[in-house]
Amino acid sequence: MKFEPRLPRDDVNVSRTHPLREAAQLVAGAALLTTAFVLAAFLAVELAVHFLPASWEQRIFGGWTEALGEQDARSAKAQAIVDRLAAHWEDNPYTLRVAVLSDDGLNAFAAPGGAIIVTSGLLEVAESENELAFVLGHEVGHFRGRDHLRALGRGLIVQVALQAVLVGSAGGIPTLVSDLAERRFGRDQERAADAFGLKLVQAEYGHVTGADDFFERLPDADADFGDEVGAWFATHPVTEGRIEDLAELTEERGWRTDATLRPIELAP
Amino acid sequence: MEPWVEPAIRLGFPLFLLVVTYFIGSAVERRHQRDLQRREQRSRNLPALTFQTPPEDWQIEESALVTGSVVISIDYFKRFLAGLRGLVGGRVASYESLLDRARREALLRMKERAFDSGFGAVVNVRLETSRLASSSRRGQGTSGVEVLAFGTALKLSRA
Repeated sequence: MKFEPRLPRDDVNVSRTHPLREAAQLVAGAALLTTAFVLAAFLAVELAVHFLPASWEQRIFGGWTEALGEQDARSAKAQAIVDRLAAHWEDNPYTLRVAVLSDDGLNAFAAPGGAIIVTSGLLEVAESENELAFVLGHEVGHFRGRDHLRALGRGLIVQVALQAVLVGSAGGIPTLVSDLAERRFGRDQERAADAFGLKLVQAEYGHVTGADDFFERLPDADADFGDEVGAWFATHPVTEGRIEDLAELTEERGWRTDATLRPIELAP
Repeated sequence: MEPWVEPAIRLGFPLFLLVVTYFIGSAVERRHQRDLQRREQRSRNLPALTFQTPPEDWQIEESALVTGSVVISIDYFKRFLAGLRGLVGGRVASYESLLDRARREALLRMKERAFDSGFGAVVNVRLETSRLASSSRRGQGTSGVEVLAFGTALKLSRA
């Protein structure tokens, strides 16, 4: 037997596709698939939000509300305001419950199951009951629009989709995008909640004086609060447009803005 | 800190890593391929064969076990590409070139070992692969792959 040393001319064990070309194809394909899935799932969420009765929602997420624990003097005061505001919401299907989160940030959330979570920082910063009432009314408005459910559903979908797509790859991206989708309500949702909150305030107090104090104070507060204000911006983008919209609505309806503010006593 | 800084870092860092590891990975790969070609050319006169039993007419003076092994790891860019590929299936091209280089390197090391010890051929050559589990993710994931080439080196005397 004879051995003839010879090397193969090319390597059959390696595909010749250029890695960048493959990357481009795969990224484009994955992006397309994900977009299609997310859009379809958003539509499903939209339908689910529309058809899921509030009583079911409270049964499903009731545990969250219970986990908030007993109310103290501060949250009881905020609860009283919410109860009075919600009384003006006809056919309100929710039992709303307020909890205070010990946090210096200025924020308020509407959570599934009827929980309104307010940061202690926000309670301390509020200078009148009217001002706080508007913020709480705004959150009640989110329940009316069922924005909290929509946000939850969308957040879950985006998270699931991105985790499926980016298995084992760049890990920072999924959490980032899902955070954004989860946290932010859309502009329209914010405006609708603003308008509803303002209506509740008007119905309860007979005027809307001080309602937009909180917004008006934010730009000035920026210097003092820094990051805390950032937190509010993150979930409730404050735009000049929202303040203007409130002013427009107030003028249109002829609501009073020159009444005396009701002082706030929240200190325990 | 501006609100956009954190997302920018979280998005930017993986992208930055992808770009950097692509260029580094490609350069390393090209260099290794050139080195493999050069060494394959040099060692081509030492046959590495898969027979279990050498032909009858070979006069064997001495035999020994020779091994050559290499441990390789994948770069960030290739892992990203393979992750995306895992979504739709198909040939994982980004791993192919890597494993191919590992097999060739292991065989070369085995042959070089045989040559250095004065052997003239290796028969019954086998290749084995084993996965090194990652220590960081509770043994899930892979931190690298070992490719081991081994065979029976023979010293032949011409009859």
